[in-house]
Amino acid sequence: MTHLLEIRNVSRRFGGVQAVGNVTAHVDEGELVGLIGPNGAGKTTLFNLISGFTPLSGGTVAFAGRTISGLKPNQVARLGISRTFQNLRVFPNMSVFDNVSVGAVGTLPQGAFGALFGPLSRGGRAHSDEISRRTWEALEAVGLTHVAAELAANLPYGQRKYLEIARALAMRPRFLILDEPAAGLNDTETRDLAAFIKRLHGQGLTVMLVEHDMALVMGICQRILVLASGRKIADGPPDTIRNDAAVLEAYLGVDE
Amino acid sequence: MNAFETVAPAGHAGRRRGWLVPALILLLVFAALPALLAGFDRGYFYQIANLALIFVLLSASMHLVTGVAGLLHLGHAAFYGVGAYTAALLTSKLGLGFTVTLPLSGLVAALVAFLVALPTMRLVSIYFAVATLAIGQMLYLVMLNWVDFTKGPNGIIVTRGFELFGFSLSGRIATYYTVAAVVTLSVVAISRLSHSYYGNALRSIREDDQCADAMGVRTVRLKMEAFTLSAFFAGVAGSLWAHMTGYISPGDFKFSESILILAMVVVGGLGSLPGAIIGALLLILLPEGLRGLGDFRNIMVGLVMFLSILLLPKGLLGEVSALRLVRRQLGAAWRHTGDGERKGEGIGWR
Repeated sequence: MTHLLEIRNVSRRFGGVQAVGNVTAHVDEGELVGLIGPNGAGKTTLFNLISGFTPLSGGTVAFAGRTISGLKPNQVARLGISRTFQNLRVFPNMSVFDNVSVGAVGTLPQGAFGALFGPLSRGGRAHSDEISRRTWEALEAVGLTHVAAELAANLPYGQRKYLEIARALAMRPRFLILDEPAAGLNDTETRDLAAFIKRLHGQGLTVMLVEHDMALVMGICQRILVLASGRKIADGPPDTIRNDAAVLEAYLGVDE
Repeated sequence: MNAFETVAPAGHAGRRRGWLVPALILLLVFAALPALLAGFDRGYFYQIANLALIFVLLSASMHLVTGVAGLLHLGHAAFYGVGAYTAALLTSKLGLGFTVTLPLSGLVAALVAFLVALPTMRLVSIYFAVATLAIGQMLYLVMLNWVDFTKGPNGIIVTRGFELFGFSLSGRIATYYTVAAVVTLSVVAISRLSHSYYGNALRSIREDDQCADAMGVRTVRLKMEAFTLSAFFAGVAGSLWAHMTGYISPGDFKFSESILILAMVVVGGLGSLPGAIIGALLLILLPEGLRGLGDFRNIMVGLVMFLSILLLPKGLLGEVSALRLVRRQLGAAWRHTGDGERKGEGIGWR
């Protein structure tokens, strides 16, 4: 059987530094997978390799049976992989609604012709209704409908996190990658976020998250991948990972 | 369909637009102003009104590429010139009339812009700005020095004014109405592009093009479209100018005109179409109003621009601060793409 996401012998080198070396992993449809590892382990680089932000030095990435290595980020996105960023990247000078609508526009046909003549045709009106419907749905999912008209820059930090997730959801992805969603959140907010991610997963979305917050990852993920110095050192359910000698060593720096 | 849609005050796309303001503007442009002009009955006033309208179109078209898509464009006047020269040459060499030259001027300017965009659109922001500056200068020098074709500094006399299906529209009031109608239609088209989900996608490129890319937005293609369309409307403005004045020369399309148009967009506020229109009116009408001050008026115009940057960083109605946009673009030139990871990999390109 084929996996939803299949990463084979993937490597990335920056000058002399091997950021990701020969990583092989997979994600199945409907899974909630965590990716952990000490600072500089190559987690974000791996995300960037999957989403097309960084070209591969070696190996292949396949999504839904199709090779996606070498595609541009917007092509990867339109195939159904959507992501958030480690350091929040909302569009500050646009309203919350407009921010989220970009996600919906991104995965639908886009062009000047449609914008100019769309309102005159039934198809064009249906297209813009569809964008507005997806946008409202995503805003409802994260509970930001009440600030839809607000400028994104004016939202508090926690809400901007959810805004970024809403924008990713408006793309109606098959696979959602969250890069450190809990960074900068307090305990209560982190707990709410965990419940929210679980709910998304419960609705059938395949999710992968990079996280420093162990409690969060251990609490909600079904399977955990561990990276250290660019290599995969463990892959298994939370209970196995917790007691894995290689993982403990990587995190605690135990010498023999 | 959706309960929210009726209460949605949302952004540029979902906003419910009233009919009152557009109706008042149409009334002003097509009834009150012409009545006023006819009342004074001075050719000079007609000239000013037409000039202001043409610059409204130039400013609105630049709003699309610089204000909405966030591309710093320093050669817009050259595409205006390409349109004007297309109209003038088609009229003087082939004897074609306004109804033919108007669309062709737009198309030729758009074609030139498209060819220019092919190699430059992947340049990172500030390098793109420099490239548009260079291209503006090149086109200007072609107009100036290709004497056999463009008559160089002597300029070209455009023998035919406005006309429609054989009817001459070259009287004062008919000329005004022609210019007003073309500019209004063009501005409506630009507002469709700017105040739509398409406009939102362009804005996302202005805000953070890498992030927009990750959202599935075809950034390069959309930037090319915005650039080409903006040149199309500049070309249309050029055709209006050629047939209106009856004489064009390269001096009308030099670098300082590009900067004047940019100033209109900045003073009005980057990202705002009403702002771009008000900016154009301000910077055309103010110098005329200050004619009594003699050469002082140019200083006054400079002062208005200086103060507006200083006191209104976002212009009158803008979405983004011009200084911040430029600073970010300057920064982007040195910033490595991909979270600083791709060291040395094609700096200046994306």
